Amino acid sequence: MTTALPLLLDAALCALILGAALATVAGRGVFRAVVFFITYGLALSIAWVRLGAVDVALAEAAIGAGLTGVLLLAAHGRLRRLRAAGDPGTGAAAWPAALAGAGLTGALIWAWFALPLPEDPGPALAGAMPHAGVGNPVTAVLLNFRAWDTLLESIVLLAALLGVWMLTRRQDWHAPPGLAQHTASGGVMAGFGRVLPPIGLMVGVWLVWAGAEGTGGAFQGGTVLAGVALLVFMAGLPPPPRISAPGLRLALVAGPAVFLMAGLAGAVLAGGFLTVPPALAKPVIVTIEVALALSIAVTLALMVIGPPEGEASHGQR
Amino acid sequence: MMLIWLYLVALGVILSLAAALWRVWRGPARADRMMAAQLIGTGGVALLVLLAPLQDWAVLDVALALALLAALAAVGFVKATTPDGAGDPEETSPDLPADTAPVADPRHTQGTPHG
Repeated sequence: MTTALPLLLDAALCALILGAALATVAGRGVFRAVVFFITYGLALSIAWVRLGAVDVALAEAAIGAGLTGVLLLAAHGRLRRLRAAGDPGTGAAAWPAALAGAGLTGALIWAWFALPLPEDPGPALAGAMPHAGVGNPVTAVLLNFRAWDTLLESIVLLAALLGVWMLTRRQDWHAPPGLAQHTASGGVMAGFGRVLPPIGLMVGVWLVWAGAEGTGGAFQGGTVLAGVALLVFMAGLPPPPRISAPGLRLALVAGPAVFLMAGLAGAVLAGGFLTVPPALAKPVIVTIEVALALSIAVTLALMVIGPPEGEASHGQR
Repeated sequence: MMLIWLYLVALGVILSLAAALWRVWRGPARADRMMAAQLIGTGGVALLVLLAPLQDWAVLDVALALALLAALAAVGFVKATTPDGAGDPEETSPDLPADTAPVADPRHTQGTPHG
């Protein structure tokens, strides 16, 4: 009885995920696909919990169920206003995509069976953990043992935001990013935008801080903070800062800059780029995490908001 | 014994999630699908809280993040249904259909005329 129940739970969860995934690609209508995709991200996050990867579950919950939902719903709303949100159809264009998806799934299944089980990283990681400076093995790998990857990822995020900003027209460059949000004063949305952010701010800061020893981290906490910022902006209080504002630019580059400087300091003082002496590891890692969380939060929020759109584009709608 | 109960209740919550998925499929209105997605968000939080004592108390952090951010999609949905995609349904007059209602906010009528 006690061994069958976890299995049953996992089987039910798998059925839920497969059902949501199938409905996302098989159903007609863009909006239905968007909503199914949101629920799919949510179910995936629960699956990560079942697999024991709580840090990944946290990232999936924050990104998949939170930010992606807002992004896709806003995109659908815009398509609908442009009268372009018809069903993309299941004609000839769908087949290459379906074949590519099926091919990728097949390759993954093949890899699962063909590749040898990886050497358990446990012993090596456990041996190195006392020198990591932090108690969470995920944070130790991300910000100490494999810091190079994380540094490049933080720069990739910045590059993605620059890509979004490239869509800005010259005359809109000094306008606030995204649509000009407005709400009924004293309405439900304005109230929501006042009540939730303080709580979200605390949760986000907690996740960044807790990441050093337990579940959490710069990315998870930063994503929650990005969600909070989005909520404030969508409630129209206050509008997002202009993308030419120096303070905003500083917040965007703070994470990669602090990370790079710590890496260079390691090259000069500790004998290797991104090398952290064990005695200083904890303060260095926490400093990098705080700066990274700030940059991740601002970058993700601005990416979801989109490029600046001046009054001209408002008039066209 | 307690663990068995936790698993059974978790299975029950998964069944309710499946029922909500059916509502997302069925619709028929966009709001029906969105509300079903919100129900899945709430059910997901419940499921995570049930899994926390079974696996790892840190799962409560995931539940907390989900509870905070699942509501964000509802805000995004409500925003996207307003005429300019940036408003608030409470601003527009209720007797006009949402697709044709003019933008009530004076800040948005000062630009170029609607084309």
